[in-house]
Amino acid sequence: MTTVSLTDVACYLPGEPVPAAFYTDFPGAEDKLRDHPMFKVPPLRHHVARDETNADMVERAVQPLIERHGRAAVRGVDVLLVHSQLPDLPFVGAGTEVARRLGLNPEWLVDVANAGCASFVYMLKLARQILTSTDAKTALICNAQSAAGQWFTQSEVRKLAQAAVPGDGCGVGYVTTSARSPVLDVVTRHIGEYAGDMTMAVDDGRKYWEPGESQLRIGFTDASVAKVLARGNRLVPEVVTDLCRRLGVACTDIDVLITNQPNRTFLRNWREALQLPAERHLNTFDAYGNLFGAAIPITLDRALDSRQVNDGDLLVLGGFAHAGDFAGAVAVRWHGDRN
Amino acid sequence: MSKPSSTLADIPGLVRIENAGKEELTAHCMELTHAVYPHHQVYGQYCTIHEYVDCPPEQAYDYLRQGHHLEEWTCSLRDFAATGTPGLWAGRDRLEDDTRIYCRVLANPEAMTVDYHCSWDQGEQLWMIYLMRVVPARLVLDKQGSVITWTNCRHPYYDDNPHPGLAPRPDRPWVGDYWDLFYAGHTLEMRNLKAILEHRHRGSLPIGSAPARAVAQ
Repeated sequence: MTTVSLTDVACYLPGEPVPAAFYTDFPGAEDKLRDHPMFKVPPLRHHVARDETNADMVERAVQPLIERHGRAAVRGVDVLLVHSQLPDLPFVGAGTEVARRLGLNPEWLVDVANAGCASFVYMLKLARQILTSTDAKTALICNAQSAAGQWFTQSEVRKLAQAAVPGDGCGVGYVTTSARSPVLDVVTRHIGEYAGDMTMAVDDGRKYWEPGESQLRIGFTDASVAKVLARGNRLVPEVVTDLCRRLGVACTDIDVLITNQPNRTFLRNWREALQLPAERHLNTFDAYGNLFGAAIPITLDRALDSRQVNDGDLLVLGGFAHAGDFAGAVAVRWHGDRN
Repeated sequence: MSKPSSTLADIPGLVRIENAGKEELTAHCMELTHAVYPHHQVYGQYCTIHEYVDCPPEQAYDYLRQGHHLEEWTCSLRDFAATGTPGLWAGRDRLEDDTRIYCRVLANPEAMTVDYHCSWDQGEQLWMIYLMRVVPARLVLDKQGSVITWTNCRHPYYDDNPHPGLAPRPDRPWVGDYWDLFYAGHTLEMRNLKAILEHRHRGSLPIGSAPARAVAQ
């Protein structure tokens, strides 16, 4: 069977870092949890500019790939997969716009709308499948997250504790038929039972696209937060453990684990459940906040840049989506040469 | 309720909706909620197990309050007989050779609690205390039968035998050496208890049995 590699990743973080005070000093801000060690807001995060789109972010995130692998290589990708956490337009995904900007002509182009915070894992699985079963040779997979600077900065939403946690950014992966940094295995699970539990709250009951005064926010209640905590606590260790079992390695053999990073609690709990020391479970929460689906490729890119991933490392990327409707983990034997 | 609150205000560290608010309460709870817990954190100081048993609670309680039934459902307590002290029974713990165990049962029929106050080697101070309770499953699980809980607290004597001289031989291991296996050992015993009670109840057999002996040797 054709071996598929996660050959490289790159990322883009919009604008200058935004300090926590943007939220904590905002009049009317919920401030009870600010001093709580587990819930203290990330010191920094990035926000998209008002006129910045998902396609803009992808275009910028891909530039380092062009520099490292050549424009022709990127232009030649056969597969383009794009996940936009906050689509700029209903109906239309960012994929074709990304293709236009970068001059791509992919045989396969899919705007992935599911798998949320673990969609990088899912897109890697899709890319691997296409690359092993068709003539396609290379893929570009993209995660754009632009909710922080748009949705969570609305005047009312900005006051909520939930607003201070997200950050914007875009991470992209270059996937090729190569044995250099092979994708060893992928475990994914769609969990229909938990579908629909993550809701958008619009207080006046309108549809989100109907005119009105109320501001869209994520409709998590305390009770639903408890449920999602329980699911996330279970799901991510389960898929990672399942992946390791299939590979015939112990979870403690993972050299570098990168997950989505919804909050510090999940990061702590997953690390504990997998019995990994903190230095092997990398995250960028303090610098970038909750990056949703973009967390995995961005954190991996930062880790490669700071040489936290060594040649030959068993790299595992995993996470769960929404209120638990998807979980996935992928293992890569890393032999990328960044420097 | 405003009056008690004013006195509670002097007590540091209380987390109540009046001072914390709902969101902070949730945050506290989230912080305390882990995906996994190390064994010693869960069972290090206290060991509680629980089981559903398909046997009417009155019968389960009646079975437990008769201490000689320990010979049936525990792994290693055997040969109980009454001593000269009323209510105090003595038997053998076959976990270790030649080890005597003393036991007194304190049961409360209204609460359906059965506490076994036990000790190895001597019957003067019964400090190995097993706290059991039978709860009607109808109340808590909305089904017939019983929920049985069983708690053990780590008395300091588990870590330090107060009467080493009473051991049958100097190298006899101490009961507290097994503390880390208590969850497992008690789970096996609870499964025995469940199997016995369910077998007899479902077969319409007598739940209890007569004591094997009446008088201590």
